[in-house]
Order: sequence, then C-alpha cells, then structure tokens
Amino acid sequence: MKFLKNRAVLITIVLFFVSLQLFSLNIREKRSQNFISGIVLTLTYYPQKLVYIVSDKVLNTWQDYMDLVDVRQENIRLKKEVLSLRQDKFELAEQRVQNYRLKKLLDFKESPSYPIVSANVIGGSPSLLRTEVVIVDRGTRDGVSQGMPVASSEGIVGRVLTVGDRSSEVLLITDPVSAVDAFIHRTRVRGIVKGTGSGCTMEYIEQNSDVSIGDKVISSGKEGFFPKGVIIGTVSNLETKGSFISAQVSPFVDLDSLEEVVIILKTNNNIVLNE
Amino acid sequence: MNKYLSIIFLVLLSVIFITIQTTLLSPGNLGYFSPDLNLILIVFLAIFSEIRGGFFLALGNGYLMDVLSGNLPGTFMISRLSTYLLVRSGSNHVYLRKALVQGLVIFVATIFTWIFVLTIITIKKDSSFDITAKSILIQGIVNAVVGIPIFWMIQKVNARFQK
Repeated sequence: MKFLKNRAVLITIVLFFVSLQLFSLNIREKRSQNFISGIVLTLTYYPQKLVYIVSDKVLNTWQDYMDLVDVRQENIRLKKEVLSLRQDKFELAEQRVQNYRLKKLLDFKESPSYPIVSANVIGGSPSLLRTEVVIVDRGTRDGVSQGMPVASSEGIVGRVLTVGDRSSEVLLITDPVSAVDAFIHRTRVRGIVKGTGSGCTMEYIEQNSDVSIGDKVISSGKEGFFPKGVIIGTVSNLETKGSFISAQVSPFVDLDSLEEVVIILKTNNNIVLNE
Repeated sequence: MNKYLSIIFLVLLSVIFITIQTTLLSPGNLGYFSPDLNLILIVFLAIFSEIRGGFFLALGNGYLMDVLSGNLPGTFMISRLSTYLLVRSGSNHVYLRKALVQGLVIFVATIFTWIFVLTIITIKKDSSFDITAKSILIQGIVNAVVGIPIFWMIQKVNARFQK
C-alpha cells in the first residue's frame, strides 16, 4: 500500500490508459453481462426494496389524506366517466367482433403475444453521467433476461440491460445508446427512434415521406427486441437533415416519474419478424 | 477485532450510501443537485481511514457505481480508484482537520473524477454521454456541502471502532 501511496500520480496515469483500453473494448456491448454485476444487483436489491416500501407507504399515506379533500367532486366526475366508459365498452365489443370477422375473411396472421411480468421501479442510476437507467424489482427468478423489452400501459419504456436474481436494470428509450425500429402509425413510414437524453428522435425517414406533427410513432418489431405495434410517442417537430427527415418524438410514457412497468418475456429465441 | 468492525462498518456504509443514491437521492430525481455519496465515502476513506482495505473498498465502491448506472465496467471503478490514490497521497501534505479544507478536498476530488471520465469520453469521441461543465461544478459544490457533515458523522462512529 505504501508503494501505491508514494507513486499515486504514476499509477493514476497507468490507470488512465487502462481505463482508455477498457472503454475501447466496449465490454458491455460485446459480451453478455458478467456474473459479478448480477451479484451486485441482487445484493443491492434488498436495501433498495426496503427504501421503496417505506417511501411508498409514507407517500401513499400522504396521498390518501390529500385525496380526501376533493373526494366529493371526484366522485361526481368518476360517475360521469363510468357512464361514458360503459358506452365505449359496448362500442368496442361490437368492433372486436367485427374485427375478428374481417380478419378471418382476410386470412390475417395474428402477431404473436408474449407473456408479461409486472415490476415496480425501485431505483434509478446513481450517476449524472447516465441517468436514463432504472432498477426494477424483477430478475432471473421471474424469468427476466437481458434484452427483454419493457413497457408501461402507455407505451415503450426501454429494455433490460443487466439482470440480477431479484432485480434488473432497464435502459430507457431516451438513452443515447437506445434505438428502436419504428414506423409512423398513420402512413407506415419507417425510421429509427433514437434516444437523445431528454427525449427521442426518429431518424432516417426518407425526405418525400408523409410525416406531420402529431403523428403517432409505433414499434415495427423488425429489430427483434420490441414487439410490433407498441406505441412509442408522438411527432412533435420535424427537421430536414441532408436527404432524410428527422422527427422529434415526445415519448407517451412519462419516464421521469415511472413507478410500474411490465417486462415482456420475449427472448431472442422467440423473435418473430412480423412482416 | 476493532479493525474488522471498522471494515464491516465501512462496507455497510458503502451499501447504505449507494442505496440512498439510487433511490431517494437519485440524479434522475434531483438532477445536478444530487450529491455523490459514493465519492464522498471514497474521499473519506482516502483521508481518514486507517484500515488496509481502503484501496479495495474504493475499488468496490467504483464497481458498484459502474454496475448500477449501466456504464462500462471500469469507467467509475478506475476513476474513483485514481481519486482515492491521489487524495491519500496528498493528505499527508495538507492540514485536513478543518471542515473548510475537507469541503475543498471533496470539491477538487469531484472535479478530478469528472475530468478523468470526460477526458476518456472525449478521446473516444463517444457522444452518448450528456454532461456539462455547469452540472459538474454544481455537483462539486453540493458534494462539498453535504460531505462535511457526513465526514463528521462517519468520523464519530468510525473512531469508536478504531480505538
């Protein structure tokens, strides 16, 4: 240890070059997750879950108290909403029957459906360098494995980056290394949705394509990670870059306040190219 | 025996700090104003801890950061180990009993760690990381402010084990 202490500057320079080499190897991208990372995730799961349970209880108690203040007005509003939803439900049931009949007529091949597992977000990244990472309370014992897509009721969230026994790390779609093959719902124009840190952009859209602000963007299922047809967000701005159009996409899911997600148990083995 | 208790205490503290940093004080919630408790602990180990395992604790803490922030293994592990070594080697030449000096050391250590990481990112031309000089400076100040009372508390507890 005395040796290290006396030659700290020299060792720091050596460590700098070691770090540079490790960065070049780009270990995480080329190799599947290492065993120790899984252990670290499992070990930190218990204290993280404890903090999650305690903070959730405190927040819920506070929320329950606050909710009581406006409960009468909310009750009236909800009754109206129930009436409206009953009407919608009836119409949807009608449409479902019609849809089934038409699909049969067209001999339409159904997209495969995958089992899902719900998870709570129990933590986030501890570093400013990469904040688009969250930790969820499901791991290998729940059937989760690396690369599985993660969504919420509102749309795509990201994909599983590292898996522990009871918890996993999820890389959000807004992370700059994230990319999803997608298309515009209205016109079926294709592109790649990439993370920008604070949001997403859909790139490589051909210049003469029919895209406009407000269009919904959905996953194409072609890159193999995300199932086809899961909503990503809405086009909020358009920009021409060379011979392509770049569309700014506002994710449907509020990724800053994620609480619950679903992990789609879709491994690379059962990837189906939909089209 | 006391030496072992001290190590156990510091290992537990590492787990508690990283848990707080990934839950209640996550940069995802607080942005620039999130204190880096992990780095504060590494600076504490470098300045005050007399245990031999300080080097490995610093290494382990860096690894925890790497795994939990989804970064490449080594990015934080090596930068924090370098910070530990430099602060430890420099701690002989500076009077570190004053809170103000301790705060200054934490601030400089934060800036050094980020310069280390950002230099690598710049050399490798990796544009996937988005961090500004402003956020680094703010985190340096936050770390210094939060670090001083933490140092005082850890010293109080740790001194009991090291007696």
